[in-house]
Amino acid sequence: MVTAAPQRQAGPSALGRVTRSATTTPGRLSVLAVALLLLTAITGIVAAVTAQAKRDTLSDLVAHREPLATAAQQIFRSLSDADATAASAFLSGGVEPATLRTRYEFDISQAGTALGKASSDVGGDPLAAAQVEVLSQQLPVYSGLIETARANNRQGYPAGAAYLREASGLMRSKLLPAAEQLYEINYDRLQREQESARSVPWAPIALLALLLAALVATQRYLTHKTNRLLNIGLLAATAAVVITLIWGVTAMLVLSSHVGDAERNGAQQVDVLVQARINSLKCRADETLTLVARGDGPGYEQEWQQLAATITGDGGANLLRQAKDLASSDAMAGEVQLAVQNAEEWAAAHRKIRELDDGGQYEEAVKVAIGDAPDSAAAAFGKLDKNLITALNAGRDEFFTQTTKAGNALTGLVPGIAVLAVIAAAGITLGIRERLREYR
Amino acid sequence: MGLVPRTGRAVRGVLLAVVLACAATACSAAGRPVDLATVSSVDRPQPVGVEVNPATTTGAATQVPPCDPTASLRPANNLPQPGNMPAGSTMRAILDRGRLIAGVDQNTFLFGFRNPTSNALEGFDIDRVRDVAAAIFGDPNKVQYKVITSAERIDALKNGEVDIVVRTMTATCGRWVDINFSATYYVAGQRVLVDRASQITGIDQLGGKRVCATKGSTSIARLRQSPAPPEIVAVDNWSDCLVMLQQAQVAAVSTDDTILAGMVAQDPNVKMVGPRFTEEPYGIGIPKQYEDMVRFVNGVLERSITNGSWVTSYNKWLAQAGERAAPPVGKYRD
Repeated sequence: MVTAAPQRQAGPSALGRVTRSATTTPGRLSVLAVALLLLTAITGIVAAVTAQAKRDTLSDLVAHREPLATAAQQIFRSLSDADATAASAFLSGGVEPATLRTRYEFDISQAGTALGKASSDVGGDPLAAAQVEVLSQQLPVYSGLIETARANNRQGYPAGAAYLREASGLMRSKLLPAAEQLYEINYDRLQREQESARSVPWAPIALLALLLAALVATQRYLTHKTNRLLNIGLLAATAAVVITLIWGVTAMLVLSSHVGDAERNGAQQVDVLVQARINSLKCRADETLTLVARGDGPGYEQEWQQLAATITGDGGANLLRQAKDLASSDAMAGEVQLAVQNAEEWAAAHRKIRELDDGGQYEEAVKVAIGDAPDSAAAAFGKLDKNLITALNAGRDEFFTQTTKAGNALTGLVPGIAVLAVIAAAGITLGIRERLREYR
Repeated sequence: MGLVPRTGRAVRGVLLAVVLACAATACSAAGRPVDLATVSSVDRPQPVGVEVNPATTTGAATQVPPCDPTASLRPANNLPQPGNMPAGSTMRAILDRGRLIAGVDQNTFLFGFRNPTSNALEGFDIDRVRDVAAAIFGDPNKVQYKVITSAERIDALKNGEVDIVVRTMTATCGRWVDINFSATYYVAGQRVLVDRASQITGIDQLGGKRVCATKGSTSIARLRQSPAPPEIVAVDNWSDCLVMLQQAQVAAVSTDDTILAGMVAQDPNVKMVGPRFTEEPYGIGIPKQYEDMVRFVNGVLERSITNGSWVTSYNKWLAQAGERAAPPVGKYRD
């Protein structure tokens, strides 16, 4: 403690030394070299980290974001289908047909598995966590009610119908809205991540430009001081920086274009198809539940009318037509066109059901709704659902291909940046040392 | 014996070591284990449209002229032949349409319910509908059933959506203002249904308890007037009440004994308690303007009682073992 004071007085401070040496040309050159090297190191690190982050974002899109949005969509689909299937099974009378039972069981397991996947990734998003909580709490309650309904049905008790109504009410008031919201949250996150993958990395670009300007200025200064036109070291460093800039910008442009394609032809297309599918599933449940309610369910038919406008007709609200406009390939357009036709067929079958039921021919109406005749509503809905699945999978493939291509645009960029940074640093060191030597 | 003190010392040494070790490590740490999945309340499933203590419906109840709700319009001496209804009559219009439109229930076991095995509607009320259809068409199957809730019965008739309502409907003076009733075809009475293990023995013990009844029913009105008013859980269908009782969400269901009997038939773990505390004369509801239809339906009811079809139907659905059916006697105001 006593010795501290004299030490401070002993020599000039580091800053003082630098300031003093900057008054001489060799001193100034040394300071310049250190500054350039520092800038090179920072630029190299920032550029490499940015490139790596982009790569990570792209692989996360393919490995997590998109699969999770799909899982959320699957939860909705399975639950909605379970609801419609349970209603159809009830309508068929007696012990339900094995095919419907199998379908219901498959839907419930599918929903459970997809829910497990979706719940693995809600950390940090309280809204998503809340939806997953609702789903995990209420799904067992729902299936319990359905089994109670079955037990009563098998004994011929109308309490079974009451349990079925309660189950369906639970599905429509809690489970389906939660699943729909979970899908929307996941799709939003997917979109945000795509935007971040596409965003222009201003920081490394600005740093590269700054470094380039600094190198050019240094060379002009040296030419002015030493009357020598060229400095090989600094020229090499400049070349390395220019290559980095061109490579980086090109990679970004290619990446952006692929991510843009993935967004348009993949994600957006899939989202429109998902909305169409969600609405068609709701419509199917409405159709069967109207018959289960047997006149006491005007709400279901009203909802059918509203939702049918989003999957049929010539209006701008027709999601299937929107999907057709978004289609990037002929195969996709053809599949969606089939979906459009099958949706119209279904609407025709639905009109027939309503005509029959309103005209007092309930049994015939039920037959058209759940029977296996080729012009039944069940058949048309089945075909439509198949078209939508095919189109959805094609959209997902497109998303995967384009996003993977975007990732490939970054191949070698990170090690490339590292090597080029080392070349630039070496160039700067050698170039300025060569000049410094002339002052000895 | 000589070992004891040494053992004691050894034990004390070990204890001291443990205490020291604890003090040095985390044994003394404050705080609690982290609980990642706490559930504070359970969201129980409920029937669609359930309401607790709903507001009383206003409207027709304002000024009800005193009347005898069981007295209907006298039928003509002879019914017209099936398929040959008098020109210009309401029945002729129904005949020309090709089907009778009947507002019924599909959730009340034994009266109007959907047989889950055959998908067909069945029950004592449905048999009444079939009698009427047979009298008009000669074919009991020419019926379009429209399922309606208790609360929708009056409106369905007033709006002309249905020709008749046969749905465990009590004839009251308040309802006579809006619609017509046929002669009484059955007399029920309100009672209380509880879980087999319940201590409740009657309506006077329901004060403050949750009791289920359907919206727009006379049962719900009667519960409100009870000296020990319960917390009323109003639902759309009677079977929703059974569901809520089975799920222990209500302590009791209170309505006509006939409807309650249908619940007992579906679940041996519930029982009816206390005496009948009301009289509920069931009538077929018919739109106010169609008096010819009222007389016609009354004729059909009288014939079904004389030709035995009422008794057959009663024995099929409602008769207790060893009980003799006692068909109601028609009462008319002319």
